[in-house]
Amino acid sequence: MAAAVRAFAGYFFLVFVVRIVGRRPGKQMTPFEFVLIFFIGGLALTAIVGDEVSFTNALCQITTIGFAHYLLAWARSRSKRLARLVDGTPLILLEHKAWRSQTLRQMRISDDDVMASARDSGLKTLEQVDRAVLERNGEISISPMQTTP
Amino acid sequence: MAANPFSQPVEQSVSKVNNEVEVGEDLDFQRKWWRFENSVWVIFFVIIVLDVCGVFGRGPVAKAERRAADGTIDVRYERIERTESPSILKIRFGQSAIVDGKIKLYISESLVNGLGAQRVIPAPLESEVGKGGLTYTFLASKPPASVDLALQPSGPGLYDFTIGVVGAEPLHAKVFVVP
Repeated sequence: MAAAVRAFAGYFFLVFVVRIVGRRPGKQMTPFEFVLIFFIGGLALTAIVGDEVSFTNALCQITTIGFAHYLLAWARSRSKRLARLVDGTPLILLEHKAWRSQTLRQMRISDDDVMASARDSGLKTLEQVDRAVLERNGEISISPMQTTP
Repeated sequence: MAANPFSQPVEQSVSKVNNEVEVGEDLDFQRKWWRFENSVWVIFFVIIVLDVCGVFGRGPVAKAERRAADGTIDVRYERIERTESPSILKIRFGQSAIVDGKIKLYISESLVNGLGAQRVIPAPLESEVGKGGLTYTFLASKPPASVDLALQPSGPGLYDFTIGVVGAEPLHAKVFVVP
C-alpha cells in the first residue's frame, strides 16, 4: 500500500515541479534540459521504488501512476480552471514586430529560441515573423508576415 | 450503415488576440501564476539551504552527542535520520565502563525495532534479551574503546531510545526519522 501512496504522491509532485521549472522541457528541449529530465526521473525512481524491486511492486506502481494520470487528465478535461493550472495558457512571445519582454523573461526564452522555430518554418529572419506563440506543450508556433502581392 | 459519429458544430470557444487569431492567451492568469512561481522558487531555495544544514538529516544540524554525567559513555548519533538510509551510532566508553575486563552495554528495544539496528561492531561476546531491550557484553582492556551500531530506520516517526552501561546512569535521547 505504501508503494502505491509513494507512486501517487511522486506523480503529482513531479507534475508540480515540471510545471514550476517551466515549459521549455518540451519541443525546445536542449541537451542541458535533457539532463534535468533524466536526473529528476532517476531520483524520483529511487525514492518511489526504494528497495522493493519485485515484479508485483512494479505492476502496482505502474498501475497507480497510470490511474493518477487518467485522474488528472479527466479532471483537466472537466475544469478549464484546472487545465489552466496544469498546462498554463498559450503565450504570445512576439507580435507585430514587438517582443513581449515580460513573457520572454518569465518563461526564460530567448530570441534565439524563437528564431530556431522560425527557421523550422522556413523563415530566414525575425522580421518575417508576424506572431510567435509559446504553446502549452512547449512548442513555439510561428505565423509568417503576410506578403502583399 | 455507418455508426453515428456524434458530431457537434464548431463554436468560438478560444479567445482571440486583436480579433485576429484564436490563441487563448490569458495574461491576467499568467501574471498571477508567475507571482506564485516566484514564491515557489523562494521556497525551493529555503528547502535547499535547510537540506545543506541538515534539517532533513545528514548535515551539521542533524549530528548530536550525549555524554553520561558519570563519564561511562559518550554517544554520537544523528538526531534526524532518514527512512531506509544507513547511519552509525557511535558509543565511546570511559574507564569507569570497564569492569573486570568487560563492558556490559544495554540498549532499548526501540534502537532495534524503530531505528533498525542492523549490526554491532565489533560483534559482542554475549547478547542477552530482557528489561525491554538487549544487553551486550564486550571484552575490553582500557580506553579509548568504542562500539558502533549500524542503524537503518524502517519507517518515519519520533523514536526514544535508552542506552547505557549496566549499573550506571543510562542516557535517553530522541531521534526523528523523516520519510
